[in-house]
Amino acid sequence: MVEPEEFVPEAIEEIKQQMGAEGRAVMALSGGVDSSVCAALAYEAVGERVVPVYVDTGLMRKGETAAVEEAFGTMESLRVVDARQRFLDALDDVVDPEEKRKVIGEEFMRVFEQEARDADARYCIQGTIYPDRIESEGGIKSHHNVGGLPDVLDFDEIIEPVRELYKDEVREVARYLDLPEEISERMPFPGPGLAVRVIGEVTEDKLHAAREATAIVEEELEEGGYDPWQALAAVVGKGTGVKGDNRVHGWIVAVRAVESRDGMTAQAIDVDWQTLQSIQSRVTGTLPDVARVVYDVTHKPPATIEYE
Amino acid sequence: MNVVIVDNGGQFTHLEGRALRDVGVSHEIVDNTADPAEVVERADALVLSGGPSIEDVGRTPEYLESGLPILGICLGHQIIARQLGGAVEGGDHGGYADVKIHVEEDGGLFEGLPESFNAWASHADEVVELPDGFTRTARSEVCEVEAMQHSERPIYGVQFHPEVSQTEHGLDIFRNFVEVARGVHERGPDDPAVSS
Repeated sequence: MVEPEEFVPEAIEEIKQQMGAEGRAVMALSGGVDSSVCAALAYEAVGERVVPVYVDTGLMRKGETAAVEEAFGTMESLRVVDARQRFLDALDDVVDPEEKRKVIGEEFMRVFEQEARDADARYCIQGTIYPDRIESEGGIKSHHNVGGLPDVLDFDEIIEPVRELYKDEVREVARYLDLPEEISERMPFPGPGLAVRVIGEVTEDKLHAAREATAIVEEELEEGGYDPWQALAAVVGKGTGVKGDNRVHGWIVAVRAVESRDGMTAQAIDVDWQTLQSIQSRVTGTLPDVARVVYDVTHKPPATIEYE
Repeated sequence: MNVVIVDNGGQFTHLEGRALRDVGVSHEIVDNTADPAEVVERADALVLSGGPSIEDVGRTPEYLESGLPILGICLGHQIIARQLGGAVEGGDHGGYADVKIHVEEDGGLFEGLPESFNAWASHADEVVELPDGFTRTARSEVCEVEAMQHSERPIYGVQFHPEVSQTEHGLDIFRNFVEVARGVHERGPDDPAVSS
């Protein structure tokens, strides 16, 4: 286990070294614990020389944008970019998961590039953690915030303060730094966001179903007394249903809840029937175009936590 | 003492580093294309990681001749089997996530462990014929050779993954391997009294 008391001063020192005496750094802030810890460390190291950029891709969870604005609003250098339509347009007709990740990565880069130019930034700070690196190098996932993004932008240096840490260790650091619980305990959320929680083409109606259903899953599991490493809902296909007396051909939503130490391996949680029914009832009851709800019992391996 | 982890491209290789870190021993990870002479120079013991393919193992087979204590995990275990006269084939039943390990021979990696424990696996192939001089030390319902060791030299193989958090006693297995390696390191590798 990495010791926060040792790690934090070393990380701050490293950022100072890498950023030299002057120049600004941009960093991609997602609202998740990894980038939030980086923002906190960078702020300690160089203050307002850090420009955190939050991009609303339209692929974020319910209420995420508002939460970020609230948590980081006091940082004067914070920039919030509304890029929802851009991403949806870029994802038009894209169905292959690897292609989705590539398109999102590229679009994100373009938005970020503009922000970096506007901020006149020489450095880039990323919240990459160790599993992001392994899973990209091993060919399991191509997206992760590794390579691609800053390569093209010609920064003097790319700074990754938490690259050697696992998620559980980043949380320890977040708690040590006294970040709000809402952030330190926030569930992991994939880089490409809800785009990988819908099978096939990314459309607003599928996103809406995934977004709302995910919020329901997170709430109901908390109500039920669970504390998953990660929990989500994904639109995985289409199936028939009958609502009222009408035949429906609607979305099949898969519910996933796993326990894990570090995200490398994970077990599907044995969620009780009552909680599953609460989820099912709210999802099919409040989302007219969802026909049914299934629960994913597969561990990682052989599955991954997310669907794409 | 320094343990070198040979990376065969597995997704859990860094977790092997984490396990050694948590056991308190110095370690480093090298690519499986590293020069054998260099590997032997830096290592007091080797861990051969898992990986996606037995056709993609770099120079790992050459490290087996080093005389160092070796722990092969998953693909690493299969490399040892194939290289030293055994055989590896597709299993009837892949092993993913939980398997119940039944220990057949005490001591070695299983020193102090219960007779059976849950481990996590992730493999389609398995060792179907033990290499020369090896005995089977554990089995499961889905895989006949879950663990093996050489009867004289400190070479061990496990098909499951002791480095993932769900494997019970995973850290103990690393600890036991490090103990054996320390013993060899202190006595000197050519000492005929060295045994597992």
